[in-house]
Amino acid sequence: MKHLKTLTVGAALLVGTALSAQAEDLHFIMCGGEVRAADQAVVDQFIADNPGVTVNLEAVPWGTCQDKSLTLAAAGDPPSISYMGSRTLQQLAANDLIVPAQIDDASKSTYQEGVLNTVTIKGTQWGYPHAFSTKGLYINCDLVEEAGRTCTAPKTWDDMYDLAKAINDNTDAAGVGLAGKDFDNTMHQFLNYLYSNGGVVIDSATGENKLDSQQTRETLAFYGKLVDVAQEGPTAWERDQLRDLFNDNKIGMYISGPWGRGQHNESINQLVAPVPAGPSGESGTILITDSLVVFKGTGHEDLAHKLAQALSSGDAQYDLDSSWGLTPILDYASIGIEAPYYEGDAFWEVFTGGISTGGPEPIVEDFKSLQSVFTNMVQGIILKEDTVDNLVTIAGEELDEAL
Amino acid sequence: MTTVDHDQPHDTEKNTQRRFVMPEGIFAWLLVAPALIFICIIVAWPLVETFRLSFTDARIAGENYVGFENYADLAGDRKFHATIWRTFYWMFLSVGLKLVLGLIGATLLNAAVPGKALFRVLVMPPWVIPIAIGCIGWLWLYNGYFGLLSGMAQRLGITDGPIEFLAYKTSAFYSAIVTDVWVGTPMVTLFLLAAMQGVSRDLYEAAWVDGASRWYRFRRITIPQIMPVIVSMALLSAIWTFNSFEIIWILTEGGPRGATTTLIVDTYKTAIGNYKFGEGAARAVVIVILLALFSLIYMFFLNKVNKHYGSK
Repeated sequence: MKHLKTLTVGAALLVGTALSAQAEDLHFIMCGGEVRAADQAVVDQFIADNPGVTVNLEAVPWGTCQDKSLTLAAAGDPPSISYMGSRTLQQLAANDLIVPAQIDDASKSTYQEGVLNTVTIKGTQWGYPHAFSTKGLYINCDLVEEAGRTCTAPKTWDDMYDLAKAINDNTDAAGVGLAGKDFDNTMHQFLNYLYSNGGVVIDSATGENKLDSQQTRETLAFYGKLVDVAQEGPTAWERDQLRDLFNDNKIGMYISGPWGRGQHNESINQLVAPVPAGPSGESGTILITDSLVVFKGTGHEDLAHKLAQALSSGDAQYDLDSSWGLTPILDYASIGIEAPYYEGDAFWEVFTGGISTGGPEPIVEDFKSLQSVFTNMVQGIILKEDTVDNLVTIAGEELDEAL
Repeated sequence: MTTVDHDQPHDTEKNTQRRFVMPEGIFAWLLVAPALIFICIIVAWPLVETFRLSFTDARIAGENYVGFENYADLAGDRKFHATIWRTFYWMFLSVGLKLVLGLIGATLLNAAVPGKALFRVLVMPPWVIPIAIGCIGWLWLYNGYFGLLSGMAQRLGITDGPIEFLAYKTSAFYSAIVTDVWVGTPMVTLFLLAAMQGVSRDLYEAAWVDGASRWYRFRRITIPQIMPVIVSMALLSAIWTFNSFEIIWILTEGGPRGATTTLIVDTYKTAIGNYKFGEGAARAVVIVILLALFSLIYMFFLNKVNKHYGSK
């Protein structure tokens, strides 16, 4: 009996030791300030499938999230995994803070065109793309009709300006909403126009700075022209705030992602169109992804990879994209999903149509300096502080320093 | 019954002979040692570390010694020079307004009016409310389309459209000043009020008997009596305003086009925003030097003021 007791206690200790050795706590920082139900479901399943593993999910608003992940990693206490903007990847990789993503060839082939480019640096993928967006022009048809026009999609910048001016002159609303605040989407908004005018920021093959170009000059000049028919003081507004102006019938049109449809008042009769083409290009859009990034030095990188792969796998990713209203990041038809949410829908054609013609968000190590270059240039033309030529020349020089 | 121990005087004498007498200097150092250690950890070490970092190109990946390169860059950077002037302008304007408004407020609160205790409480909210919350309120006030100020201006026919206060360089700068003054004035008011209440009533009564007017009494009794407090508050307020960060960051993040970027905002953007710790540290050292110089000059004048008004 005594031996039996000893054996039982010994066995219990052994099991306990084995369990504690298995126990892992993954720190998952989710930028955006919320954990979406589709992601939470995958995390819950992951915990159920991996006994002894817990996931500490921390939702942090965008404004501070990326800095938080980066600072933690730099201080030697990295999160296990973080969902953050792909623009941060080069800085993280260059500083040896993250490990490459493990995306197999079969999975790579399911991504939409251009998506993997947003996470690829010198042939290596550093993140699992998890959210994808293209942009379109939302038009308030009620205001267009009030201005005495027919609500049709403008094809060119001239058409767009003409429509915006009509709204501006004949209604109480401003013709167009422009973003110009010290914020990352000021750069994104400008790039929508630049990519619709054949412009390039950095040559993807050579890494050469191509910002100082005729296309950029034309784009900046057009941005400056739009200021005359835009809402008061664009330098105080960022894209998400323009949504409030749109909902309040204060602006006739603005550029946003597909999620805009769900955020606009149902009472607004809206039309969505591709970003109009500039004089030197075809309609284009910026391709932006946010990624799941596995940090180095946690001791459980394999588990983190496993979770990232689960979150970005076909079905889980489909749930996220369809419930959130994102541009499809995977070609869901190719992985056997029947009648995906975007097929046969004129609204979604605007956003999926831009995938092949869009340009990537530039990937540079010092992405905040890149952002400053664009913000300075755009604010310069909005405030009419300098000529287009000077502003573009200065921006080109500043980008050289940032690269 | 009393027991007398005849050996006691002898023992006491021996004990006195054996007692270790600590030199006065060492004893004094031992007394201040805890405070010194505290200051070394809290103040000296970060300061020394910042100073050391300023001679490196420290970034996330590591650091290399670069000598005076960071300082040389700052010396040749016109944007940085403009930031220094902007910071001093911001400081002098804001502190000046806080002092003037604080003096007016303290005088009114010191007056013998019914319900003055209530007024004293009502002055405090800008100081008591967390700065971030207050600034978010001001963000709304300054908004052109949904804000109170722009709405009132349109209703009163002052403007025929929305005014976006934070969108333009000049208006953004002065809007930030207004918010900073709103936050900082209550403290100045309450300190000056406390000083005014310490002025002897006899002085006022004697002046009143001599026929001195209110203005004369204020100018010749109140102001001289509270002058040491005014100059002390001015120095403290100047340092706080110079290093004021949250207000500018929440309202404008230093924009548009750097119009509201002061030294502290510039340092934050460089060191924390762009992860250029070495360059950020050099900026921080410049701030320390500038504030130290300013304080020295100020203390020189403070001594003169104190001597003039008889304060110790």
